[in-house]
This record gives sequence, C-alpha cells and structure tokens, in this order.
Amino acid sequence: MQNVIECRNLTHYYGKRLIYQNLSFDVPKGRILGLLGKNGTGKTTTINILSGFLQPRSGECYILGEKIGEMNPLTRQRIGLLIEGHVQYQFMTIEQIERFYSSFYPNWKREAYYELMSRLKVAPKQRINRMSCGQRSQVALGLILAQDPEVLVLDDFSLGLDPGYRRLFVDYLREYAKAENKTVFLTSHIIQDMERLIDDCIIMDYGRILIQMPVDELLGKFRRYTGNVSEGFEQKFDSTILNPSVLRSSLEAFSMEPEEAVIKQLGAQGVKNIVSERVSLEDAFIGLTGKY
Amino acid sequence: MFRAIFYKERVKTIWYALLALIVSVGFAGYMMLRVSRALSLQGPEHIWIVMLQRDVIFVDMLKFVPMIIGLGFAIVQFVPELQRKSFKLTLHLPIRASHAVGAMLLYGVVALLVIFLPALALMWGYLQSVLPTELWQHIIFTTIPWYMAGLAAYLLTAWVAMEPTWRMRIVDGVIALLLIRIYFLSATPESYNGFLPELAILTALFAPLSLISLTRFRDGRQD
Amino acid sequence: MLRIIKIIFWALVAMLALWELPWCYNFFFTGGSPSVPFTLYSSVVGEFAMLDHNDKKFSYSDRTGREYTEEQFDSILPMFYYHQLVTDGRFPETICGVSVTPRQIQISNFNYRIEPAELNKPQIGLYQMLETMSGRVDLVLPDDVFRLTDTGIEFIDMATNSVNEKKSKAFTDMMLSKGFRFPAHRIAGNPTDRKEYDEGYVMLDADRKLFHVKMTKGRPYCRAIELPEGMTPEYLYITEFTARTMLAFVIDTEGGFWVVNRPSYDVVKTGLPAIDPNEETLLIMGNMFDWTVTVRDDVSRRYYALSASDYSLLDSLIYDTPSDAIKGLDFTSHKDKFVRFR
Repeated sequence: MQNVIECRNLTHYYGKRLIYQNLSFDVPKGRILGLLGKNGTGKTTTINILSGFLQPRSGECYILGEKIGEMNPLTRQRIGLLIEGHVQYQFMTIEQIERFYSSFYPNWKREAYYELMSRLKVAPKQRINRMSCGQRSQVALGLILAQDPEVLVLDDFSLGLDPGYRRLFVDYLREYAKAENKTVFLTSHIIQDMERLIDDCIIMDYGRILIQMPVDELLGKFRRYTGNVSEGFEQKFDSTILNPSVLRSSLEAFSMEPEEAVIKQLGAQGVKNIVSERVSLEDAFIGLTGKY
Repeated sequence: MFRAIFYKERVKTIWYALLALIVSVGFAGYMMLRVSRALSLQGPEHIWIVMLQRDVIFVDMLKFVPMIIGLGFAIVQFVPELQRKSFKLTLHLPIRASHAVGAMLLYGVVALLVIFLPALALMWGYLQSVLPTELWQHIIFTTIPWYMAGLAAYLLTAWVAMEPTWRMRIVDGVIALLLIRIYFLSATPESYNGFLPELAILTALFAPLSLISLTRFRDGRQD
Repeated sequence: MLRIIKIIFWALVAMLALWELPWCYNFFFTGGSPSVPFTLYSSVVGEFAMLDHNDKKFSYSDRTGREYTEEQFDSILPMFYYHQLVTDGRFPETICGVSVTPRQIQISNFNYRIEPAELNKPQIGLYQMLETMSGRVDLVLPDDVFRLTDTGIEFIDMATNSVNEKKSKAFTDMMLSKGFRFPAHRIAGNPTDRKEYDEGYVMLDADRKLFHVKMTKGRPYCRAIELPEGMTPEYLYITEFTARTMLAFVIDTEGGFWVVNRPSYDVVKTGLPAIDPNEETLLIMGNMFDWTVTVRDDVSRRYYALSASDYSLLDSLIYDTPSDAIKGLDFTSHKDKFVRFR
C-alpha cells in the first residue's frame, strides 16, 4: 500500500528537553491514523513538523512523496490543515472566508462548505471571533471539506468541543474520509469517540512510542484483569503485566498477552477471583499510559 | 491568488485605513486651516517673515502622525494573524510563504501611500496657491522624512510583530526604535533634503526584514 | 535570498552599533573638553589676561604669571569692564595714552560670532531688502522679499504673492550696469529691524566679484568693491556694528580673513592665520584698541590679538583641548544643520 505520510527517525528537543527520539511512522493511503498521548508528549510537535512549522532536530518527513520544507507550494493544495483550537481567520465572516479560500483551490467545493454552514445557527455577516468554539470547529471543518484535499492533518480537533459537536465532527469526518478515500493524520488528547473514527493508532508516552497498531488489533488483544488479593500483597509480575494497581484488596492490571498466560501468571501470584474483560480505547489508553 | 491575499488584508484593515485616511487628511487640512487663519488674521507679511526668520513651518503637529498611522496599520494588519497562531493558515496557503508575506507588505505600503499622498497633495495644493515656491517647498520637503517614517514604522512593526519569540521581539523592537530615531534627528526644517535618497533606500531595506521573522516562525522558534 | 536579508539585518545592526556605542562611551566615560580660562587681550599690559575658575575660586592673572586682584583685573581690561569702572568711579581719563569716554567705548565695542552651523544650514533663498534711509529712527521691514535667479533679482510682494516687475527690473538693471553677473554665488545680509542701521547685502557674483547692494530711498544702490590682486572671496559676513567703520568680513578661498572698511570700501587683510569657517567657530570681541579673536575647533582653542587700527597680529595664545571622545558614525553635527552619514 502506498504511504501518503512517511516520517523517519524524527528527533526533537525543546532546548535540552527531549520530546522524542527516532520516531518513525507511516500513514498509508485511505487510512485514518490517530496520534494519541497525554499533554506534553509531543503530539503538537509532530503536527508542527508535518505542517512545516517546525524544523526537527533530525529526521525527515514526506507527505505525498515530497519532503516537508522543500515542498512545492502547490502541493499544499492537496493537504488540509486544521490548527489546534479550530483556528481560522477570526476577523472574517463565513462568507468572506469562503470567498478568500476559494481562489486558492482549483477543486473548491463551495456547496460542501455551505451545506455544513447551513446547519449552524449563525448569521452570514457574523464574524468568526464571535462564534462559539463548536461553531468555529464546523467552519474549520467546512473549509477543509470544500478544499477537498487528499490528506488531512488535524491537530487536537476535539479541544474545547462539547460532546455533541465532537460526535458531529467525528461522524462527518469519518464518513467523508471513507467515502472519498482520504488519508487522515490527527492528534487528540480526548480518547472518547476516537474508536468511532480512527483506523490506526499511535499511543505516545513521554519521549517514546508505546504502541503503534490498528485499533481493531489493539482492542482485540488488550484486556483488563481484576481480582482480589490478600492484605500485604506484593506484586512481582513480569513486564507483560501493565500498570498493575492495588486499591485495598482489589487488583487491576492490563496486558496484551494471550488471556490464558496472563491468568496463569496472576493466579500463580495468589490473585483470586480473576475477571478478564475487553476494554474501550479509552481504557486501553489509560491501561497503557497509566493514570498519572 | 494575490488578489485573495489583498482581499484578506482589506477585510482586516478597511476600517482602520478609512480612519487613518481621515486622520491623515484631516490633520493636513487642519494645518492648512491654521495657515489660512494666520494669513487672514496676521497678514501674509507676518507669515512669510516668521517662516524666513524663525524656522516656523506651521505643520509641526504633523510630525509624528504618519509614524503613528504606520505603526497602527502594522498592528491592525499583523496582530490578528498572530493571535492564536493563525499566521499558520497564511503560511499553509498553496503559495510561497515569502510571496504571501510580500503581498501583505505590498498591500500595506500601497495603502499607506493612499493614506499619505492625499494629505501631501492637499497641503501642496493649498500652500502653492498662497506662498512662493521657496516657502511651500520649505514646508513640503520638511514633511517628507515624516511620511517616510510612516512607511518605516509600518515595515519595522510588521517585522517585530511577525517575530515568533518575545525575547527576539524585544531585541528587534529596540533596533526598530533606534532605526526610527534616524527620521527625527533634526528639528531644523529641510535639514533632511540632501539625505532623502539615503533615507528612501534605508526605508526600503526594512521591507525584507520580515522574511527573517517568517523564517524563524517556520523553523518553529519558541520562547 | 535569506542570506542577503541577513546581511542587510547585520549591516543595520552594525550601523546602529557604530552610531550608538561610541555615543554611549563618550557620554559615560569621557569628560567634556578641558576647561579653558576666560581670556582677553589687554592693550594696557600688552598681554593676554585670564580669568580662571578653580576650586570654586576665581583667579586673575596674565600670561607672564602676574596675579591680579579683581579690581586690578577690571583696570587692565578697561574696555571690557568699563561699566564696572564707571560704577566704582574708577574710570581713567586716558587708556593707553588716549583720552576716552565710556560712551566712546560703548560705541566702538563689538562682538561677532561666526559659526559653521550658521553657514551650513538649509537656506530658503528669500531675503528682505530694508530701506537704509527711511528718514525714521527705527528700521521698518519691507512688504516684499526678493530672490536671486539665474538672470536677475526678483522682488515678490508678500500681500499678493506676485512679482513686482518694476522694482525687480530697476534692481537687476542697476546691478548689471555695475558689472554684476548672475547667478549670484553668495549673499550675506542681516534683514532684521532690531538693529541700529541697515547696510543691505554683500554679494559675490558668478565671477566671485564682490558687490554691495542695498536700497536707498526706494532706489537700488549697487557698488562693485575692488578686491586686492589674487584674492578670491568665498564667505561673507555683514557687520553693521555701531561704530560704522566696517561693512563686512570676508574669508577668502585660502582661509584669509579680511575686513571691508566703511565708507572707503578698502578690503584689508587681517593678521589672522588661515581659518576654516566650515570647521571652526570664531568669536571676535573688538574694541577701539584691539580685537581678541577666539578660534575654536575640536582639539584647540586659539586666541589671537589684532590691532584695531590696522588688523595686524599682536599676539597669540593656544590652548590644547584634546578630546578623548571616540568617533563613530554620526548623522548630525554641531558644525552644520544637515542630516547625513558622516
């Protein structure tokens, strides 16, 4: 499968603080990849590198086969960018902003934009800076849909959205991307709803990638285990048991390993009444990254 | 596509530009009104003589007006771009970033000329009807460096505003202040006459500085 | 491209540094020029006399080292302190063997300053020709101005902003008839009504010949002033002193300092060494016996005593005033009123 986005060995520091080292990933055509991580793990850094607003310390990124930084400006017609917080030109109205962008993109789909705008309860002359965060997100999304790019790069699109708008955004985007075979790279720190949207996920911790795999595969393997332990229990699990925690006499732990092997290990250490269950993406995220 | 950039700049600045035009022409008109009143109250003899003997030029109040207009124009044009980093939107447009910034600056310079030239034309039109060549040139030439300072203040403020880090913004701001001082070094009328070509070149040199800020922005420089 | 822009940036920074850093250094780390005592030539003792102010004390002396009391000092500079002498009842009957009255001193004393910044400043090119013989005590400013064109002199009526053709023609014809060749090379006058009398203008024509032009009873007056062989005038200064014995000072192309006497129009060379009025400030304090000419430049203050009768050099005294200021880039200078790189 053709990779639309390729990043090789990205390393970046802010001053002396390492953000990550040797980060590599690909986004194949037609896939939706989510870069998930807690705040400060380098999600926005990655987006900034991908959109050409940050020169990484080392490593290279390619979008649509062109190296970022040496990209032909016209290639940007094929890349849609959503800036963190759904930022758009605050000083324009929805009509003005449509008029402005339309002349930059040959395949401009005016109707796609106005279809979305018609659902917003905003006056045509209302400036964007007087809209709610949710309304602004729809303007930003509408502009990307009208641009009709091959690749969408979305930075923390869930930021500041209430559940309704978040769901609206997710559903609209998923349907659009799948129908038109678009490639999407996005980041989020809110994991709810991501299951509905993304095909592949990269979960980041400080300075490194924890896992990188299709969401289905992750949710198929990843399980939560609970059980009871006696007082004074001291865990001696190996590294396949992730983030075990004990609250009074209850134990909670996660693992990607086959169920039988995990139950066997837990049982051998004296855990009783072991219950194994599938989890949501959000639980898997917490299981992988820990609560803190 | 450049028309679209100009359109965006117009949306941002149209109200400020109209206000600035009114202030610019209004100030010039007010100055001319003062000259006219002085001419009718005190007689032309008095006016000519105070100009000849006491360096009076009647338009001193205009001195910093173009500079303030230029500074304000850059703020009105560039601060909305930098709020919440929406400058990234401009840089993501499918045109060269340097062309986008160049078009923005070109718009600003042309707009400032449209704001300044009617004021100069108004003063010229009136003064040449009541004063001999030597005296109206004396006044007009004295104001030219002030108008150049307007363009310089605009270009320098744009440069400082686009700089992504506060640390360098302060450094650049100090440099810009010192550069602007060059336009206001002498209170003697017409003292800049022989320096106007150099001053024009100096002013033009401020335009490309914004590309340094642009490059730093694109390299992701942060405080 | 970016490299060129960075070069521009650093060139601008270098320009500012060359401008501001020497200024800061000079402001914080160098004292002004060393102070020089107040010095005047005394014809009474035939020496320069100095008044110095050190440690909040005044000291009075002359160049030979003789010390004076304050009262003695008044007496050796009677032309300067005549007012004090009169008040104290100490005014002598004769000075240097000549019998004088305070009134005579008052009439013959003069001060004149020649400054580079007055020479090198923007000129509007409009002048006023006063009536030299109005028949009234006070001078009156005219209701017109004149400009010098390539072909003549043009009077403009201020009330109507229109050229007075008749007057212009009368003056142009008169000047042409006296051999004046337009355009004028230089003009000097002092068009103000706050002086005792008016002598109009001295001008150099296109051939650097010297002329005296004024208006008498509404009619043009023009006189070619004969110049000594080989002397080419460059800078002109009209004097209009109370004593009326001089018309103008002239500095020639070699820096020689000349006096145009009145009413003879004799052009007499003074004993002053060559001076450069673009660089040096001259202060002339004259009286009926002698002139003390102070010439000040960046590194020295020079005093010259001239005889008031034939302008010959009597004595000179030089104070070095070295400056440890460092020279950087500058836009303005106290020596002119222009802005430029220097």
